[in-house]
Amino acid sequence: MHEWALADAVIEATAAALEGRDPACLRAVNVLIGELQAIDREIFDFALTTLREEKPFRNARYKLETEPAAFLCAACGREWSLKETASLTVETREAIHFLPEAAHAFVRCPSCGSPDFRVQKGRGVSISSLELSVEEACR
Amino acid sequence: MCTAVAGIALAGQGNRVGILDLDLQGASTHVFLGVHPGLPKEDKGILPVSVLDNLCLMSVAAFTGELPLALRGAEVSEALRELLAVTQWGMLDYLFIDMPPGIGDEVLDLARLIPRMEAIVVSTPSPVSVAVVERLLAVLGEMHIAVPGVIANMVRDSAESVKDLARRCGVTFAGEVRYEPGIESAIGAPVMLGRTRAAAALLVALETVQFSPKAARIRGVTRRGGKG
Repeated sequence: MHEWALADAVIEATAAALEGRDPACLRAVNVLIGELQAIDREIFDFALTTLREEKPFRNARYKLETEPAAFLCAACGREWSLKETASLTVETREAIHFLPEAAHAFVRCPSCGSPDFRVQKGRGVSISSLELSVEEACR
Repeated sequence: MCTAVAGIALAGQGNRVGILDLDLQGASTHVFLGVHPGLPKEDKGILPVSVLDNLCLMSVAAFTGELPLALRGAEVSEALRELLAVTQWGMLDYLFIDMPPGIGDEVLDLARLIPRMEAIVVSTPSPVSVAVVERLLAVLGEMHIAVPGVIANMVRDSAESVKDLARRCGVTFAGEVRYEPGIESAIGAPVMLGRTRAAAALLVALETVQFSPKAARIRGVTRRGGKG
């Protein structure tokens, strides 16, 4: 599943972010999931749990939070959310799930109809912060 | 065209070949290969679509079909990284990355993300193409991206201008692909494309290309000029 590849990337990014620190002191990882990514959270969570088993930070919690999508039209300045977008088919949502930039093929500005807009928020998966034990964080 | 035909030709020799079409705004490799990719299958990532035995393709067309995709620079970078991150190629002998003309986000991002990439550069003999490719070669040199060969494409009379370009830039002239009017009728039919004179010429050119050991596992193609 696509979720496994993303989970693997998050685990590796966690390991990279911890470089030079004691990985056992990692308490939690806060992960932002873009709304456009439309990840199956259950599979993603399971993948994270499985993939971190062999890591020295296996006891850390992964806290998942969805970041709502926000679009900004470059032509007229209108800002809008995914809810304000004309209804998308299941197949279209699936395409955007795989590749959020595919939204540019299917979404248009609700005010002026322009295809020239920016995805301001709500794409991809990112680590927003790491929570470390106080001793490690103060090092 | 060169990427698709080179991929077909090498796959026909038993090599495992993947093609990644990173011309996001002008994806066309699927047209050359006669593929109408639907949404990709998943297996701990997304799987490229199988074209022939030993030849597979990943293209943005898998997600957007033939709809136009108007992307600005930052979004090109995001899409490119996403495709690189989640595509599961399996074991390959060659991964060709088809690039749009010029020195835009795609080239800059790939140079950063795949520092071992090597670029086979394609130019037509037209002075216009040669001028643009000369700038591309200069930038690739500044970024320390190896160019194991330059190929002249759509050659009607002489490839001398491309040979001169290779000499000026200190890179190997790998060979030429003659203009072949009949190739248009083979577009969309990979088996026929594999039987064209272009396919034979590209195999000869790729044998001339000297990849460095560091590119043993990743090989890239960039193109410029005419139909590339």
